[in-house]
Amino acid sequence: MKTKLRLAFGVACLSATFGSMAEVGYTLRAVDLKAKPYLDADTVSKLPEKAELEIVSRNGPWMLVKTKNKQTGYVRLLQVRLGVTATSADPGGWLPPVLPEPTGSSRPSTVATNTTGIRGFTEEDLKAAQPNKAEYEKMKSFAATPVQASAFAAQAQLSARTLAYYAEDGKQIPGGKK
Amino acid sequence: MNRLRGQAALMVLAMALLVTACAGGKGGSFNMQNIDIGQLAQNLRGLRAVSESEEIEIGNGVSETLLGARPLEKDDELQHYVNVVGLWVARQSERPDLPWHFGVSDSDAINAFAAPGGNVIITRGMMRLLRNESELAGVIGHEVVHVVNKHHLSAIQKNAFIGLLGQGVSAASGRNQQLVNALIGPTKELYARGLDKSDEFEADRMGVVIAARAGYDPWGLPASLQTLAGMKPDGSQLALLFKTHPAPGARLEKLSLAMGTSFDQLAGGGQSSDRFTRATQRLKVADAR
Repeated sequence: MKTKLRLAFGVACLSATFGSMAEVGYTLRAVDLKAKPYLDADTVSKLPEKAELEIVSRNGPWMLVKTKNKQTGYVRLLQVRLGVTATSADPGGWLPPVLPEPTGSSRPSTVATNTTGIRGFTEEDLKAAQPNKAEYEKMKSFAATPVQASAFAAQAQLSARTLAYYAEDGKQIPGGKK
Repeated sequence: MNRLRGQAALMVLAMALLVTACAGGKGGSFNMQNIDIGQLAQNLRGLRAVSESEEIEIGNGVSETLLGARPLEKDDELQHYVNVVGLWVARQSERPDLPWHFGVSDSDAINAFAAPGGNVIITRGMMRLLRNESELAGVIGHEVVHVVNKHHLSAIQKNAFIGLLGQGVSAASGRNQQLVNALIGPTKELYARGLDKSDEFEADRMGVVIAARAGYDPWGLPASLQTLAGMKPDGSQLALLFKTHPAPGARLEKLSLAMGTSFDQLAGGGQSSDRFTRATQRLKVADAR
C-alpha cells in the first residue's frame, strides 16, 4: 500500500512536470540535443547538466527525448540517468522511473523497490539455503539443444556475427573472435 | 596482512588435517564414482587446473544451493524461452559446447547468478525489470562471461579447501552429495560477498560483445543497467545485487569508455518486444494481483 501511494504520488508529480505519464530522466552532464540519432547531426540546443527529460523512445545508443521547454531531439543513452534529480519534483530525492505500458516496453510501471511482502533472494535466504537437487534436475530438463537455439534465432531473424572484445579504453582486442 | 597470514595458517592447518584424514583412506583419498575428492581438493587449492568435468560437477553443487535459496518460477513456457535465448547467446561465446542451463527463479529480488559449468539463474524480479529481449540477451551475456572466464570457479578455488574440510569430507554419502555438501559453505560465502569488481566490469564489457555476436542490440545491457541506476539502492529487492556488484552508475561509466561509438553500427537487433512480452506476460499478470 505504501508503495502504491508512493508510486501514485510519483506519477502525479511527473504528470505535473511533463503533462503525461512517461519515462523520465536527466542529463548526466552538459550535452548536445541532436536533431537526428547521429553524432554529426545538427544540434537542436545545448542541454545543461541535470536537464530533465521525458524519454519518448529508444534506438540503440540513442534516446529520443523531450525537454521541459518542449524541444525534441536525440541524446546518447549513456549520457542519461533515469528518474528525477534530487533538486526536482521529488521531495524525497528519488522517484521510480515510470514507463509506458506494453507498446515498446513490456516492463510494468510498478518496479519501485518494495520493502515488504516480497519473495526475495536475500542474503538471509542464501544463508538458510539447503541444496535442492530436484529443482536443479528440473532446471536441466528445460535445456535447449543447439538445433533448437539455431531454429529460434532463424525465426527471430537473429544472425550470428563475428566481433572481437574491447578493452577498458575502447580499443579492440585483436585476435578474431576473442 | 594479518588476514593473509590467518588465511595462510588456516590453509596449512587444513592441508595437515586433510593429509591426516586421507592417510587412513584407501589410496590416500576418497574415491567416488567419477570424481576423486582428494584430488579435487588439491585442484580446488590451485595445485592443478580443475578439469571441465570437475567444473561441471562443482557448478551442479553451486546451482543446487542457489535453487535451495529460491526454487524455479512455475512457468514452463518462460523456462523454455530463457533456455533458447540463453543457449543462442552462450553459443556465441568461447565455450559454446558447455551444458548450458538457464532458469528463472521464483523471486521478486532483482538479480541474476552464474554458476560454473554453464548455469545461469535469473530472478523473476529481473525479468520484470527488463524491457525487451535485447536487454535479456545483455544480462545473459554478462552471466555467460562469468562462466566462460571461470570467475566463480576461481573464487571458489581460493577458499573451498577450508570449506571441504569444514563440511566434512569424511562423511561421504555418495558421489554428488559429498561434493555438494563440501560446496555449500563456500557457495553461500561467495554469492553473499560477490566477485571482484574487476570481474564484474569484465563481464559487462564482454557480455555486450557476446550479445552483439548473437545479433542483439549491444545496448541492451547498458539499458538494463541504466534502469538499475535510476532505482533506490535500498530495499530487499536490490540489497544483494547492490552489495555484490559495483554501483550501476560506475558500471555504466566503464561501459561508456569501452563501447564509445564502436557499436553504433550494430544497434537495433532483436529488440522485438513481442516475443519477450508473450514469454513474460504471466509475470505481469502475477504482478498485477
